[in-house]
Amino acid sequence: MNGEQRLTWNPFEMLGFWLIDAWAAVYDFLSLLAQTLMATFTPPFRFNDTLKQFYFVANQSVLIVCFCVTSAAAVTIVESSYHMKLVIQNDSLVPGFAALLILRELGSVVMALLITSRVGAGLAAEVGSMQITEQVDALKMLGINPIRFIVVPRFVACIAAGVVLSVVANLVCLYGAMLVSTWKLGYTPGGFITAMQGFVHFRDLIFAAIKGAAFGSVIPLFSCYFGFRCQSGAEGVGLATTNSVVATSVSVIVIDFCLTYVFTNFY
Amino acid sequence: MKVETKVGLLFVVAVVMVAAFAYYLGVLNPFSDSNRVQLGFNFAGGIEVGSKVRVMGIEVGKVTAIDFEPGLKMPKTGEEVKLKITATISKKAWPTVRQDSKFFINLAGVIGEKYLEVSPGTSASPELEPGQLVRGEDPPRIDQLISQSYGLAGKILDLVQKNEGSITDTLDKMNVLVTNVNKTLVLLEKTTKNEKFTHIVNNVDTLTSDLTILTSKLRGPEAQRTLDLMHRLVWRLDKMDEAAIRKFLQQEGIKARLF
Repeated sequence: MNGEQRLTWNPFEMLGFWLIDAWAAVYDFLSLLAQTLMATFTPPFRFNDTLKQFYFVANQSVLIVCFCVTSAAAVTIVESSYHMKLVIQNDSLVPGFAALLILRELGSVVMALLITSRVGAGLAAEVGSMQITEQVDALKMLGINPIRFIVVPRFVACIAAGVVLSVVANLVCLYGAMLVSTWKLGYTPGGFITAMQGFVHFRDLIFAAIKGAAFGSVIPLFSCYFGFRCQSGAEGVGLATTNSVVATSVSVIVIDFCLTYVFTNFY
Repeated sequence: MKVETKVGLLFVVAVVMVAAFAYYLGVLNPFSDSNRVQLGFNFAGGIEVGSKVRVMGIEVGKVTAIDFEPGLKMPKTGEEVKLKITATISKKAWPTVRQDSKFFINLAGVIGEKYLEVSPGTSASPELEPGQLVRGEDPPRIDQLISQSYGLAGKILDLVQKNEGSITDTLDKMNVLVTNVNKTLVLLEKTTKNEKFTHIVNNVDTLTSDLTILTSKLRGPEAQRTLDLMHRLVWRLDKMDEAAIRKFLQQEGIKARLF
């Protein structure tokens, strides 16, 4: 579909163009997903690349993720205490509620959004640059599947990193919440753990890890998708990066809703 | 440090954190220091797996399993129960749990969290065996209580409606009675303020004081002796007739008009 054909004011034609474009985009994305999944489970495997990508995604993000998630937990604790005192003049349930909120939502979602902005944006820019400098075409000419070469190591690494970061972020976050409630609300660490035990189950951590894996999987998919569709020039790379971050963030929120809805059936 | 080492370290840290979390939640406990007890119930009142177990109000374990067992019979009584709840109790608290201990399902906290309360048994009763099946006390069913209260309220309403006339009459009489009592009390209050009444009361007070003194003296040994003498005298006089008494008194030089 070229630009000249779109210069029309006929609403039916505009709708038709939009639908065809939307279908093409969805088809491209599903095609990328299918090829990625196929390449993930078939040899040859690129262990070294995957390890390096994991290091980039997980090890180099762990500090910032822990810091941000702990700050969010501190805010959650203080705000929950304020609200509980406002409503029932008692904040004894705050550790339990806050711990549950952290494990079920906060830890994984904040981690995913941080990884989206840190890793997803970089990945989209990287793949976009490769696309406009025809490195992707060069790979194809050399008989190398660009999806296996570029997407799969990042896909696997991001899923594994999502799980690890989700677990680490959630537990560091809980530790931070315990410190804040000890300092601010006058709880003892033992009292916090006891109050937490009343609400939190081990399956909450398992569900958080599953969410981490799901969020981790969409980051490289959207980044590579927009990177491969990148238009030439710096503007094209910028647009690909922006689109990638927006699409990934929205998909993280949507996936979070879907998974929360599914996991609710297990309680 | 190599990239591989750093990645490995992060994995190890994550695994250790998960293990620590599982340990704190009681899911993973390699150093178990608790015994198991099985409880038979017919109604568990909303207790859940993970609910706390308390002995004398102190948390000592958790409910680990709830199983539906329709044919379960209590070993001693043969009573049929349908729910089997398995709970752990720490070995530290185990000596206080005896054969005659009671197992209740209680409410705690602001939101009514359910927990299993174990009352300590008497020291004369033997200790509970680990894994032993004992009967728990079924908690009262709130829905049943409400239903019974509803029935009771209906009966009271019915009673009132059927005997409306007599109840009204009784209430009127009670009203009159209360009015009369009130009037009497007012009168009494006025009387107590009257000078003559005060004088009478003072006299009665003096009289009772004197009587107190007199009776206290009567309890003394002299009074006892006097009483004995009079007793003997009366018994001696009882045997004598009028002529003999007159003769006796004349001999003594006493002129008296007897009888």
